[in-house]
Amino acid sequence: MYSHLPHKADPNPPQPTTLRGRRPEFTDDPMLDRLYAITLALVTELSVTRARVDTLERLLERKGLVDSSEVENFTPDESEAAKRGDIQQQYLDRIFRVLTE
Amino acid sequence: MPRMHHPLPWHRIAHHDMLVETTHDERARLDTIAHLNVFAAQRLAPTVKTAFERKGVTPSDRHEVRQAMERDPAFRAWSLVRRNTMEMRQKTGRDIVGRQRESLREKADRLNAAKGSQQSRLHLDPSLDVPRYVSGVDQHLMQGGYTAEWLDRDVSNAANYDAGMFATVGGSAGPHNDAAGRALCEWLRREFPAFVPSRIVDLGCGLGHNTLPLRQIFPTAEIIAVDVAAPMLRYGHARARALGVDDIEFRQEDATRTSLSSHSVDLVFSTMVLHETSHEALPRLLQESHRLLRGGGLCIHLEQPPYRGLNPFEQFMRDWDGRYNNEPFWSALHESDLRQMMTKVGFREDLVFETRCVAPSWQSSRPTEEDFGRAPAWYAVGAWQAVEGSTAEG
Ligand SMILES: C[S@@+](CC[C@H](N)C(=O)[O-])C[C@H]1O[C@@H](n2cnc3c(N)ncnc32)[C@H](O)[C@@H]1O
Repeated sequence: MYSHLPHKADPNPPQPTTLRGRRPEFTDDPMLDRLYAITLALVTELSVTRARVDTLERLLERKGLVDSSEVENFTPDESEAAKRGDIQQQYLDRIFRVLTE
Repeated sequence: MPRMHHPLPWHRIAHHDMLVETTHDERARLDTIAHLNVFAAQRLAPTVKTAFERKGVTPSDRHEVRQAMERDPAFRAWSLVRRNTMEMRQKTGRDIVGRQRESLREKADRLNAAKGSQQSRLHLDPSLDVPRYVSGVDQHLMQGGYTAEWLDRDVSNAANYDAGMFATVGGSAGPHNDAAGRALCEWLRREFPAFVPSRIVDLGCGLGHNTLPLRQIFPTAEIIAVDVAAPMLRYGHARARALGVDDIEFRQEDATRTSLSSHSVDLVFSTMVLHETSHEALPRLLQESHRLLRGGGLCIHLEQPPYRGLNPFEQFMRDWDGRYNNEPFWSALHESDLRQMMTKVGFREDLVFETRCVAPSWQSSRPTEEDFGRAPAWYAVGAWQAVEGSTAEG
């Protein structure tokens, strides 16, 4: 975050997320452009989630392992919950990319 | 819903030891972005055309189409999808690469090291003066561009380029992302089956996607791939080795002034380089092709077609990358007269030609539909080098 400060020189700085070159605006309202970007990211992420659910369902079906009530009543344990929290945060990072880059 | 062809999914692209590791969701994300690109080309682009036709205007050039269409909702929606898939594709690749950049560097180091008595064919030149027009642009929204290094011996952006290329082009470049190279080989084999170059130079090879096919049809030729971007060359040399190709030289050189000697090459080619070459550098790159060629040698540069000859609407659609995808030299290139430039740098007018190269299908059922700049077919400009003492008649 403070990589521009000389005394914080990091020998291996992370790749910056800002792009050289202006991001074009296609609508008359900058908020609408942002809303498009967020919506498209959501579209993508929902599709990713569907693919994952499909993978799981196919695997469970192949192995005859799980029925749907087990899915409905599932509660994660502490470390599972923490991992899920990370997933949520990374998810939001992608959805709100246009507001942060 | 009309049936669209499915883009090539991640698990069908060629896997090799240099390729990034991916999670299930990262693969699904790249696959979704590839689908979004196909959707934009096959379902949304036609709505832009319909909207244009409904306006009933007869523009005389692409600028007039732009005036008519810039505020059109169909055009704007198509643009928003296209722009955002490009940005998301970059972020996806960046996140995949970011968490493994040290291990990617190690893989590259290992693959690039000399093997026993065999010297490495990767030649980097840290003192090379990298042209600003390359290092100063984040081409097609790739943060840092081709030349950026955030680690010592970084390969991040090259790894990202390789991982996401299939999503950008909706899989149309085939499992090895080498459709342009294969198109060139197909053209050479069909048009000039007797032409067997012994020394070949690829100008602006990137990570060598389109260099490797040449090795297949010319197994004994010396092949030299040059680029100014060290990360691309490091990754490219490692990738070639990972794919079992051990005898292509990757050199860090400026394609407008290489260190190779004059009249020493039989085939000079480039793929998708001219549109990323500045106005000043373009004639110099063509001039360098002329300097390098022996008499009887061939130079050929594959690109998107020039605008001349296309109707104003198609020109306008094809100009999208120039305006919205960080390709600052795109529009000017497609408006220039490359034939004339070739003559100006010294090629004999009657030996300059324009042609079309089409990649043979790697998948028989795949349609070669138009995607305004992303289909596996190219325009090419080329020239034969006059043989000393020969005339136009001879
Ligand atoms: C769009 S990429 C194409 C790469 C490759 N030919 C392919 O088909 O995959 C353009 C490449 O041209 C390189 N380039 C641009 N100007 C150059 C120059 N003057 N000398 C050498 N390479 C150059 C860039 O570094 C980049 O790798």
